[in-house]
Amino acid sequence: MNRPAQASITRLEEIVGGAYVLSDPAELNLRQVDGKSPSVVVQPAEVAQVAEIMRFAAAEKLAVIPCGGGTKLGIGSPPARYDIALDLSRMNQVLAYDPRDLTLGVEPGVRIEELLRILAEQKQFLPLAVPFADRATVGGIVAANSSSPLRHLYGGVRDFCLGMEFVTGEGVISKGGGRVVKNVTGYDLHKLLIGSLGTLAVIARVNFRTFPLPPAQGTFVTSFSDSESAFGFCRAIAQSVLTPQILEVADPGAAHFLFSAETPARISPRQWSVIISAAGQPSVVDRYARELGHMASAANAAEFIPLSDAEHSSVLARICEFPRLVLEAVPSAAIFRIGVLPTTMPSMLNDLSEVAKHWRLHLATLTRASGIVYSAFLSEEENEASFAGIASAAKEVFHICTLPENGAQAMLEWCPAKLKRGVGDLWGPWRRDFELMHRVKSVFDPQNVLSPGRFASEI
Amino acid sequence: MQPQLIRELVALLGPKAVLSQAEDLMLYEYDGSVELGSPECIVFPSCTREVAEIVRLANRYETPLVGRGAGTGLSGGAIARNGGIVIAFSRMNRILEVDAPNLRAIVQPGVVNLDLSRAVEHLGLYYAPDPSSQRSCTIGGNVSENSGGPHTLAYGVTSNHVTGMELVLPEGEIVRIGGKTIETPGYDLNGLLVGSEGTLALVTEITVRLTRKPEAVKTLLAVYDTLDDTTETVVDITVRAITPAACEMLDGFTLRAVEDYVHAGFPKDCAAVLLIELEGLTEAVEAQAAAITEVCLQHRAREVRVARDDRERELLWKGRKNAFGALGRLSPTYYVQDGVIPRTRLPETLRCIEEVSRKYDLRIGNIFHAGDGNLHPLILFDERDREQFRRVVAAGIEIMTFCVEVGGALTGEHGVGMEKNELMPLMFTPEDLDLMRRVRAAFNPAGRLNPGKVLPIGKACGEIRVQPMPVSTTIPA
Repeated sequence: MNRPAQASITRLEEIVGGAYVLSDPAELNLRQVDGKSPSVVVQPAEVAQVAEIMRFAAAEKLAVIPCGGGTKLGIGSPPARYDIALDLSRMNQVLAYDPRDLTLGVEPGVRIEELLRILAEQKQFLPLAVPFADRATVGGIVAANSSSPLRHLYGGVRDFCLGMEFVTGEGVISKGGGRVVKNVTGYDLHKLLIGSLGTLAVIARVNFRTFPLPPAQGTFVTSFSDSESAFGFCRAIAQSVLTPQILEVADPGAAHFLFSAETPARISPRQWSVIISAAGQPSVVDRYARELGHMASAANAAEFIPLSDAEHSSVLARICEFPRLVLEAVPSAAIFRIGVLPTTMPSMLNDLSEVAKHWRLHLATLTRASGIVYSAFLSEEENEASFAGIASAAKEVFHICTLPENGAQAMLEWCPAKLKRGVGDLWGPWRRDFELMHRVKSVFDPQNVLSPGRFASEI
Repeated sequence: MQPQLIRELVALLGPKAVLSQAEDLMLYEYDGSVELGSPECIVFPSCTREVAEIVRLANRYETPLVGRGAGTGLSGGAIARNGGIVIAFSRMNRILEVDAPNLRAIVQPGVVNLDLSRAVEHLGLYYAPDPSSQRSCTIGGNVSENSGGPHTLAYGVTSNHVTGMELVLPEGEIVRIGGKTIETPGYDLNGLLVGSEGTLALVTEITVRLTRKPEAVKTLLAVYDTLDDTTETVVDITVRAITPAACEMLDGFTLRAVEDYVHAGFPKDCAAVLLIELEGLTEAVEAQAAAITEVCLQHRAREVRVARDDRERELLWKGRKNAFGALGRLSPTYYVQDGVIPRTRLPETLRCIEEVSRKYDLRIGNIFHAGDGNLHPLILFDERDREQFRRVVAAGIEIMTFCVEVGGALTGEHGVGMEKNELMPLMFTPEDLDLMRRVRAAFNPAGRLNPGKVLPIGKACGEIRVQPMPVSTTIPA
């Protein structure tokens, strides 16, 4: 802190109360970002306190990184500065839930697992089957735009988030969107915060539309000897009248993480797996079972396995937790999140595989057929040479994505802190629209105190 | 306007692509709203480069710029409030690419909404957002206003269907945002730009999602003897978590006008009808139809009729989509509202509108996207009667205020424009509006792009100008 630390702490204690300003080294370490610890952790109880903290931080030019469960602090570029960890876990109330209207307003610190439980009591849900489910909070999920396999049918956060209240880098309480399911009043400022990694504003309330839990679900796993057949099967589904809620392709490397010891023996790691889940009336799910079975055999599937309810839950949980499973097994993994067009997926995956081979890395790729590829580059060893290999591979991945025939959009979502500087911008090569993002940032956070340096183009 | 600017525009675009005669300008004074404003010049660029050149010229001459599609907007978005140049996109009307396997199309802003669906029909695809004006409105206009339509209940509004855009910024710079992929790393600039009502940039190319046509479609018409039964049905459909593709409500007054106009077979003696459409797999549609029929009958629907074939289905929808026009036959002018309420508040909101109708002695027809709580009360009036127009404006404000008070919004799909910009403080604090103003300034620093829209400028609503009498006598024969 660029001001006597004790004076700052005193001021923060005035705002939130002494018990909620932590400077114990263990607490500080817990909220490290890329090896950098904050000087202090502040835990506000309400939006007014957040605003006061931000006004203080802006005046003193103290860098603030908002956090909730702390599960995704590893995403993004290393912070340029880091003084205050703004821990929102005390702001964990469901502020408004009208099950009859299928709308919801929550504070950022609500854990997703808890929220889904509350919704399930009313036979409703949010299509946020996201990683770190036991600890992730709504604010973090929105700020990181966590991807859910249910996106295939329900869309991403931007598609069912109705509005937000937030606190800007200057400590101004503001909002965008609203609380009703349809609304075009004013600029949709809240959409800018989705995936902004805490660089624009501190999220204080998120409004969602909720969805009815389907009366029945059916999940199926098919396996194929090669990627061509697996993606051919996906194409056939896409061109049919079927609209599954989940459609994912796991390469052999990813299957290793998804179908391991905890899954039933009959779903063992296979070459290329396609996981499909359908939801609706029982008659609808029956029809999926029939037609998918036919389509799978027409696509030369080695197997077509309908899962039991227990198997469905276990496989779905592992798909959601894919990045976490990879990181827990291989902490040095570099995991890309790549926006890809369905038609270019097979060639894109081939290219990724060539890169991995060239740098003697293992590859685990889970593909959301709607257009997102999670590609993890794994090294058997952790030393300077292997890091250099991963960094070189990462640069090649960015290059491959920019090729016109691929037309893909990559972001290096997860990688070890020490690798990040070697890779350069984790959001890929410079684009002209980054300049517009800088303009947006300068409006929301003119003092550059919110998560400085953590976003694309050194925002 | 400075003659030199007109000369430079003509030199840039050719004489046929620039209009500046008084009789030509008149045609561009209005849109689908009750607003009015005179441009000084209309230009018809044919490509992005020309748009950028026009923008640079406008900057040199410090002249306002307003983008315009088909001029069907209902909040004055395409009106040159402060004069200046209207950029009409009618020549930029090409579908540049249809990428069926990836469910994408790239279009110029002047492409008519329905023309895109027609162009991809043979592939079993369509473009989902379906404003009632879809036969004439353009996708560029839809992007500006973040347009909806009856089927947005299930499929979402324009914002949910745009993945990329090419922009011309107010400095004349050309920038692409997003792309064909479902996500692009970085801030969601598409999310900001869609619905920004032409105040941040001019959109010269749009990448949209295409949607596969459903296997089965079923259209139900539920007929009611009381408004309360009708609205309670809508609440109950929502509460039971049945999601139709569309759930529209027309009250008896509207219905009689519609029936006289399109002869769709709507019963003329009822209090209201619900027009409900179900889409999806045959099995899902059957199950939903049974569940919805049951709800309707529980709420004393007099009759639940299923459209027998496509012809009957299209006729019912023709009635719905021409409802504004039908009511237009009953009065010289109408004023359409666009408030949104939480869906469970529908019955009391309708009672509020009835009350407002009585209080101000105005006829109000009700055509709602009931399923998502998006109301279109249509206030009929005679624009020549200024006293009556003042009552219309007051009635509109009272209805919108009610919507906001029950937790809703000023506009669900028509936009703020110059119609509701002074009402923005009903929903937003001065701080909220200041942030929006600064976002606008970050893109549009000189305020040259579509001035006087979206954000309050301090002119009271009563100053909304009344459309003048037809001026045929002033035009030389």
